[in-house]
Amino acid sequence: MGANVDLSVRIGNGTLANPVGVASGTFGYGGEYEGLVDFSDIGAIYTKAVTLEPRGGNAPPRLVETPSGILNSIGLANVGVEKFISDKLPYLRTLPCAVVVNVAGASEDEYRRVVERLESGCLDSVDTNGSGIFGYEVNVSCPNVHHGGLAFGTDPAQVERLTSSLRELTKRPLIIKLTPNVTDIAVVAKAAEAGGADAVSLINTLVGMVIDVKTRKPVLGAKTGGLSGPAVRPVGVALTCKARRAVSIPIIGMGGISCADDALQYILAGASAVQIGTANFVNPKTAGLVSSGIREYCIGNGISSLKEICGVAVD
Amino acid sequence: MKISCVTTFLMCGNFDNTLAHNLFYVNMETPTQFISRIISNDRISEGFFELSLSWDPRAPVPMPGQFMTVRVGSLAVPLLRRPFAFAGFDADSSSAAIIYQKRGAGTELLAAARPGDELDVIGPLGTPFVIDTDQSKHVIIAGGIGLGPMLFLSSALKSRNIPARFIFGCRNKSLVPDTKMFTDADPQICTDDGSAGFRGTVADYINTNVSLDNSTTIYACGPSPMLTSVNKIAQSSGARCQVSLEAVMACGVGACMGCAVPVVGGGYARVCKEGPVFDGGEVLWERM
Repeated sequence: MGANVDLSVRIGNGTLANPVGVASGTFGYGGEYEGLVDFSDIGAIYTKAVTLEPRGGNAPPRLVETPSGILNSIGLANVGVEKFISDKLPYLRTLPCAVVVNVAGASEDEYRRVVERLESGCLDSVDTNGSGIFGYEVNVSCPNVHHGGLAFGTDPAQVERLTSSLRELTKRPLIIKLTPNVTDIAVVAKAAEAGGADAVSLINTLVGMVIDVKTRKPVLGAKTGGLSGPAVRPVGVALTCKARRAVSIPIIGMGGISCADDALQYILAGASAVQIGTANFVNPKTAGLVSSGIREYCIGNGISSLKEICGVAVD
Repeated sequence: MKISCVTTFLMCGNFDNTLAHNLFYVNMETPTQFISRIISNDRISEGFFELSLSWDPRAPVPMPGQFMTVRVGSLAVPLLRRPFAFAGFDADSSSAAIIYQKRGAGTELLAAARPGDELDVIGPLGTPFVIDTDQSKHVIIAGGIGLGPMLFLSSALKSRNIPARFIFGCRNKSLVPDTKMFTDADPQICTDDGSAGFRGTVADYINTNVSLDNSTTIYACGPSPMLTSVNKIAQSSGARCQVSLEAVMACGVGACMGCAVPVVGGGYARVCKEGPVFDGGEVLWERM
């Protein structure tokens, strides 16, 4: 009551009023959840990955539930950048939350062309007020495609080169989304920072497999998939801590967050902002509940800004 | 506003073909999330249950073929919401019904729920069946767990005085439901082992007992092999065919792309958004 809590987060030259976003791949292009959520409760929507051409995605089955989690192999199914601009962006621009476009590609050239098209196709100047595109999240960590994705994200040299290449194209906040499927995430986070990233987001899903013992075959059409949900949260928190020690740019933490306490674990481990992923499927209103829960925690503990507690568990 | 038009169509008549297309616009009406209360939850056959629950009067009215998702329990196992097709809807009491099979962690938990318990519901979702009013013959086919939505469709046709044959197939007698909703549909029962009704599959029954032609529309829901053969029969006879598909889904609203099925002409359609009701000719059955 009456307490002023500053939950805003600075990412590059942009500011998110609310640190809680909805993760790429779990909220489509926003409109799918029309009527089910109040977008002003959400800090940012990270769109479904956008590639240069439309992609149909992987052969089904694409989804199986696992203990406290799900394993998916969607395979970056998306409408492609042109349709994204003509059909999806006009709606996204009406939302009261920030819009971060998740960009994916099979080659450095494809990533570049998507960002170039978005920069030239629809945007005037840097717009961080939520009425246009806030920034980009670069997916170098999708475990479900053969080219690009993980192939980039596990190689620090490629991450740095791709980041600096995209940095030339935009002044908007540039966020590199990292995979946990590496020996040392610190090295990759440093590479993104060296390339000029404004932030890193982590973790993307963990590679996993489920086998049907009756058919003696993997359940998913693509055989392997990416594991997400509450089961991966401790992995995400630990890797947030590791990245925190490696870089000074903000970290956007995700992986298994379904309540304010989960999000606070990430913040205490060094994340400046968080994303809700799988929990959106369980309750689309999760992001709003998490952000109001964080606010209550701050009020209850006399915290006026999240910066006061960012990383304190591990610093 | 459109909702009430279509409700009128389903329950009372006054329908023309232009409205049929409006069904899909109605379907784009936003679903609602609300806390519902269980009215009854009864076993109707071996492993099958009929659950009736309160329906928020502010939520759009469900139509045959549409579904809702339910959060079962409040823990991380089972995690995802579970999709269930509507088996019925009563506007007077504002209640909806589903029929489900106890076959995993989610439905085990649901079977243990009691009248008065609360359920977190999102719906209605997906596309409904379109009643082909220009056709003279209507055949409704349900296999196993596909029964629920077909009972709903059957009652909608009945209330409009459209005669329809109702054919239900299952493995054996123990799976034949003992419920008023079922007997009201006046079903022809088919069992694989002949322990009740016709001995054989629904496809066997149609091949030997039902004459199909291009004035027939088949509406079907059931296991994929059944739908595949029903669609084949429909195509060879010139009958129209609408099928309701089932898939594992995460979001239920078209966001996650998890419930994709292969479609003719390449690519995929989402069972939760473009479906669950598809024209039989749209689905690439050989890759199902």
